[in-house]
Amino acid sequence: MTEGARIVGLGNADRGDDAAGLLVARRLRELGVESAAESGDPLSLIESFGQTNDLIIVDAVITGATPGTIRCREVGPDAVATLEGGETSTHGLGVAQAIELARILNRLPQQIRIYGIEGRCFEIGAPPSREVLAAVESLAQQLSYYQLRGRQGGRRPAFEVR
Amino acid sequence: MSGQTRTIKVGTLARVEGEGALHIKLRGEQVTDVKLSIYEPPRFFEAFLRGRHYSEVPDITARICGICPIAYQMSAIHAIERALGVRVDPAVRLLRRLFYCGEWIESHALHVYMLHAPDFLGYEDAIQMAGNHRALVEQALRLKKIGNRLVQLLGGREIHPISAKVGGFYKNPAPRDLKALADDLKWALDASLQTVKVVSGFEFPEFEQDYEFVALSHADEYPLNEGRLISNRGLNLDAAEYEDHFIEQHVKHSNALHSIIRGRGSYLVGPLARFNLNFDQLPQVAREAANAAGLTPPVQNPFRSIIVRAVELVFACAEALRIVGEYEPPQQARVEPVARAGVGQAITEAPRGILYHRYALDDDGRIVAAKIVPPTSQNQKRIEDDLREFAAQVVAWPVDEAQWKCEQAIRNYDPCISCATHFLRLKIERE
Repeated sequence: MTEGARIVGLGNADRGDDAAGLLVARRLRELGVESAAESGDPLSLIESFGQTNDLIIVDAVITGATPGTIRCREVGPDAVATLEGGETSTHGLGVAQAIELARILNRLPQQIRIYGIEGRCFEIGAPPSREVLAAVESLAQQLSYYQLRGRQGGRRPAFEVR
Repeated sequence: MSGQTRTIKVGTLARVEGEGALHIKLRGEQVTDVKLSIYEPPRFFEAFLRGRHYSEVPDITARICGICPIAYQMSAIHAIERALGVRVDPAVRLLRRLFYCGEWIESHALHVYMLHAPDFLGYEDAIQMAGNHRALVEQALRLKKIGNRLVQLLGGREIHPISAKVGGFYKNPAPRDLKALADDLKWALDASLQTVKVVSGFEFPEFEQDYEFVALSHADEYPLNEGRLISNRGLNLDAAEYEDHFIEQHVKHSNALHSIIRGRGSYLVGPLARFNLNFDQLPQVAREAANAAGLTPPVQNPFRSIIVRAVELVFACAEALRIVGEYEPPQQARVEPVARAGVGQAITEAPRGILYHRYALDDDGRIVAAKIVPPTSQNQKRIEDDLREFAAQVVAWPVDEAQWKCEQAIRNYDPCISCATHFLRLKIERE
């Protein structure tokens, strides 16, 4: 088990805004916060579940919101994960299915928070959009604060949407 | 039924890696049209690679696919080494073989248990299956993790590995790190043997096809990284001759090109082809498992590919265990190539079948031209041909069942459509 939340960024570095989760993970490491990057393979994600009781997943989503919008969903041990736009995941089986599979296998951490960054462009070879890059910086800064300082006071990033 | 008109529409096709589109048109009980539409990121990468230095190519091509990055690295590295006249230490060759075994273990465990088994056990997906078959899913997770560890050890990280390079590896793995994998690999071998037994007990539709199987073949080993390209209809080629015999045709309905054998048509690559053409090169433990499961080459029922994939899982675990046991670090982890102009082609066996790369380099070692033909593109026409035959068998079934069976027929090929597509949607239309 790791101390504090384990942060995993998902995505594909070569498909425009789909890189959002990977970019947050990279930025967090630059800020001195431990984080992992994964392609979103659901079985590998389930392995991450076994390493912590407090998991933060960051991924790109398509919900129809304004590009760059950050949303958060919490998943409890009994809840079925439903993330808006989850079916548009480019990672084969999606994050929601991985969570549901982990729930059946009794491998869910006590707490999972999924931060979704609304993407605009998912074309092969496209660079991340300006809006998503701004959201990546914002989320990384706030997760960094939460991990390094805010955690003791229970402070969480302010933009969570329930 | 004859003459009735109805349309079956299906959403995103589940349990294939990535997405695309399939359209089947029926008139009465006749299948009048089958179209599989896919997009091709490799085409983007071919353009993206031009002007890059050859040393960048393995890391760039590894990012084409999150499921089979080693395959892309290996084909790229071998092709460039051929262009530059590089010969590597035999121990490096073995390490590359071990690296590839890791990817086969990951990929086959994922497909056999999580993507294909639900079809035969009557579940919509692995999530539903997990409730009643938890042990199977736990076994898949552990197998996958062992494959991940191999890839991570040799590649530097689990996804988009970075250690392999033209000329060898950036760093040799320490013998103690490889030996530490032995116990896990012994467990994986036992689990794979159990897997063969489990999946051979599934029920399979009667559906045998007359395929041209195409795979690498090597005199001394089951093929992974090298060998001549052979078929059951007389092909016997070096990779440099590939484009003389295989051509890619543009089809209107797909963004991808259809690969065919010149003058003949579709062909099949992947586990069935490798098994049927290389059975004698499997290690004894895998041959015995296959025989006990009732598999005798040629296996011509694509639905039985799940058993063949499980037999290849046995092979990959046994081969990894052998290499780990015999490992002595290479004298040189790498040789430093000298840039020169030239052309090199290579074919390796990705989990889903042969992956062809060709690169032309200039005097400075920069890429002038690149060509990549992934296995799913090569099987694409064959999948359509299977569906043309198979849809006729299920035409009278209830719509939902017919649609589900057609999806299964596609999953027989474990199409890594993320190598080749965005979204796969299935539509069956009755005129």
